[in-house]
Amino acid sequence: MPKITIDNKAYAFEGQPKLLQFCLDHGVELPHFCYHPALSVPANCRQCLVEVGMPVRDRETGEIARNDDGEPIIRWGPKMTTSCSVDMADGMAVRTHRSSELVEQAQKDNLEFLLINHPLDCPICDQAGHCPLQNQTYKYGPEGSRFEFRKVQKPKKVVLGPRVMLDGERCINCTRCTRFTDEVSKSHQLTIIERGVKNYPMTPPGEVFDDPYSMNVIDICPVGALTSIDFRFRARIWEMSSAPSITVTNARGANCSYWVRDNLVLRITPRANPHINDYWLPDEDRATYPRFNEQRPDGPRIRGDEGLQPADWETAYARASELLGAADGSNILFLGSPYATVEDNYLLCKLAAALGASPPAYIPHIEPGAGDGWLITDDKTPNAEGCRRLGVHPVDPALVRARLEAGEIAALYALEDDPVASGLFQREEIQDIPVVLHTYHTTNETLAAADVALPAAMVVETVGSYVSEDGHAQRVWPAKAIRGVNRTLRMEMGVSRLDSHGTPFDRWHNAANQVHCKPSWEMLPNIARGLGLEWADASPKEIMREIAQHIGAFEGATYENMGSSGVRLTEIGTLA
Amino acid sequence: MSDFIKHPVVSLPDRAPEPVFSKKELVFTEAEKEQIETFRAQYPTPESAVMKTLWLAQEKFGFLPPEVIRLAADTLGIPFSLAYGVATFYTQYYKAQQGKYVLDVCTCFSCQLCGGYDMVRYLEEKLDIREGETTEDGLFTIQGVECLGACGTAPMLQVTNGPYVHNLSREKLDALIDALKAGKKPPFVSVTLPQDEDDLGGNRRSDAEATEVGQTPPAAETFE
Repeated sequence: MPKITIDNKAYAFEGQPKLLQFCLDHGVELPHFCYHPALSVPANCRQCLVEVGMPVRDRETGEIARNDDGEPIIRWGPKMTTSCSVDMADGMAVRTHRSSELVEQAQKDNLEFLLINHPLDCPICDQAGHCPLQNQTYKYGPEGSRFEFRKVQKPKKVVLGPRVMLDGERCINCTRCTRFTDEVSKSHQLTIIERGVKNYPMTPPGEVFDDPYSMNVIDICPVGALTSIDFRFRARIWEMSSAPSITVTNARGANCSYWVRDNLVLRITPRANPHINDYWLPDEDRATYPRFNEQRPDGPRIRGDEGLQPADWETAYARASELLGAADGSNILFLGSPYATVEDNYLLCKLAAALGASPPAYIPHIEPGAGDGWLITDDKTPNAEGCRRLGVHPVDPALVRARLEAGEIAALYALEDDPVASGLFQREEIQDIPVVLHTYHTTNETLAAADVALPAAMVVETVGSYVSEDGHAQRVWPAKAIRGVNRTLRMEMGVSRLDSHGTPFDRWHNAANQVHCKPSWEMLPNIARGLGLEWADASPKEIMREIAQHIGAFEGATYENMGSSGVRLTEIGTLA
Repeated sequence: MSDFIKHPVVSLPDRAPEPVFSKKELVFTEAEKEQIETFRAQYPTPESAVMKTLWLAQEKFGFLPPEVIRLAADTLGIPFSLAYGVATFYTQYYKAQQGKYVLDVCTCFSCQLCGGYDMVRYLEEKLDIREGETTEDGLFTIQGVECLGACGTAPMLQVTNGPYVHNLSREKLDALIDALKAGKKPPFVSVTLPQDEDDLGGNRRSDAEATEVGQTPPAAETFE
């Protein structure tokens, strides 16, 4: 296997990797700005300079010349070279700033150049705290600046498009954003205009940066030049904690991080997963964060003489059990949900089976033509495929209507969906039958007919798994705390630095924004027990293990296997 | 001191400018389209032919407002943003209507040291306009530009992306302006460096309209 020596340490490599990527993959940190693994290599920031040499070979024999110690003699390149663009070769020797003063000085000098016209905005800049320029200046930069002239003033607060704002002065012209629009999203809406000290990225005249993936340029911008219009000045990076999760806007299951401060989700950013979304996230996925914060219910409610009234959890469970127990099992309509996790739907299936009802069906939410064949799908729910694999199928409205008219629906149990808003029922039609509803929002139109309303935890508060359209099973971690549950949700909640130090920004300091709800996997067993069923209180991890063992379509989908990047399930074909 | 050093402010371009040319005017003739096809065939990707196509468009329309850049990009089948970025990079592409004669005075390092700015200021005074402006009669525009690759004959200028005028002096500028006013463009001049004259025994170019003897460039009177 070919070998390369980096800072006098030998590494074996395969194929023809670029030097910078190889170093980063092997824990040899090299500063860089313009290089991004998913984009082409322009080598224009000049920050990743290293010294590169090749062994001297005898011209006739091709033998590697060696010194007295038997070490190959290296002929070093006349100048430093950008490691991002170097193709590795057998015998190559590399000196980084760890073993070369020349490289160390070059990094310092280069940063001094980059910072000449960079404004000292850091205290008010959104990027501060997770800014590659800031971090690398601390690590590799010069002590101060020798530039004593006026810095170039470029346009600030330029609205490039509906979601992205440009600060021209902060830009270091790495061209990551223009390469993203040219190579990844292919909208070609950005370009670098002008030249020299006057240049910065811009839309051409008459065009608006409204690419459906436009906000990715904010994530890849190595400085604070491109910021989110929506998130600008809302929070400092160190005030938030983030949890790895997936987006639930559509059936693609793109990986993301939910950023939370004081139990409010403030933004959603992509999390790299080469199997699904690479480094990217569509704008529509990010725009959904307010629905995790707004119009959330406050505790369970049951219908009394004066409409829905607050109740405690035990009373609500008991009332739900009572209503279900009073109906003939086969006449209870169970509605699963493509918004709910596999675990929640599975428990609902079990409950339906135990009561002798037909298996749950789900209400599909499909917008034909909305998808783009990449990260946006027609299906606007995250778990339709998971439902299908559990044997929960799209509801047949004609059949439901026939049953309703024949008086064969004596009770309705709706999991995390809105049967009235989706048009399955008119509100008046179900006014007279007992309705148990798991709901996310107070705007749920079925609430008006509900007899027991159980506020359910959303993806940012629960533990569970989802199956994407193409059969990728992934689990999520809770990003924010909810009221009335075990503090870390059965040890599944990551404890951030903020949490472990008990800062004002942790999840338990202030209960005002903790939604009073519970995960469905905690509510369903309580209702089942009220019906006389012997259900143990199982954690989602145990439920998923049970599913993986008993249902062929979920073979191997345990939490251990899913990890943070999910597991591809075998195709079930026409099993459905 | 130049204005930019004193006030280094880059302004935002007009993001939705009124078009200068009407839809009817914005067409390439068949012959021009054929020419663009030839340019495209010269390179592995159509993007590479952007400069020649923009040049052709500039020769046709006189300058490159956004709608002309878009026409060039569309004809070539490349993104508008790319063509726009290229057009704004080069001072040789005129983004706005210019005077009949554009005097591109080099103010890059070598010329600056040899009096490039002296020449710009003299022109400004003489024509009563500022750098980047056009005279009222629409005859002259002064532009300070970066290196034009003739450091050996600094200071120098270029007339409307055409002939160079070497070894500038105030007298030479007076003569140039008079000639241009009379409608006489300067000839293409070949200059040989002094040391080469000795070695080669005179100016070696035979295809030049005029030759000039090289001289030691002067030192600038004022530095900015």
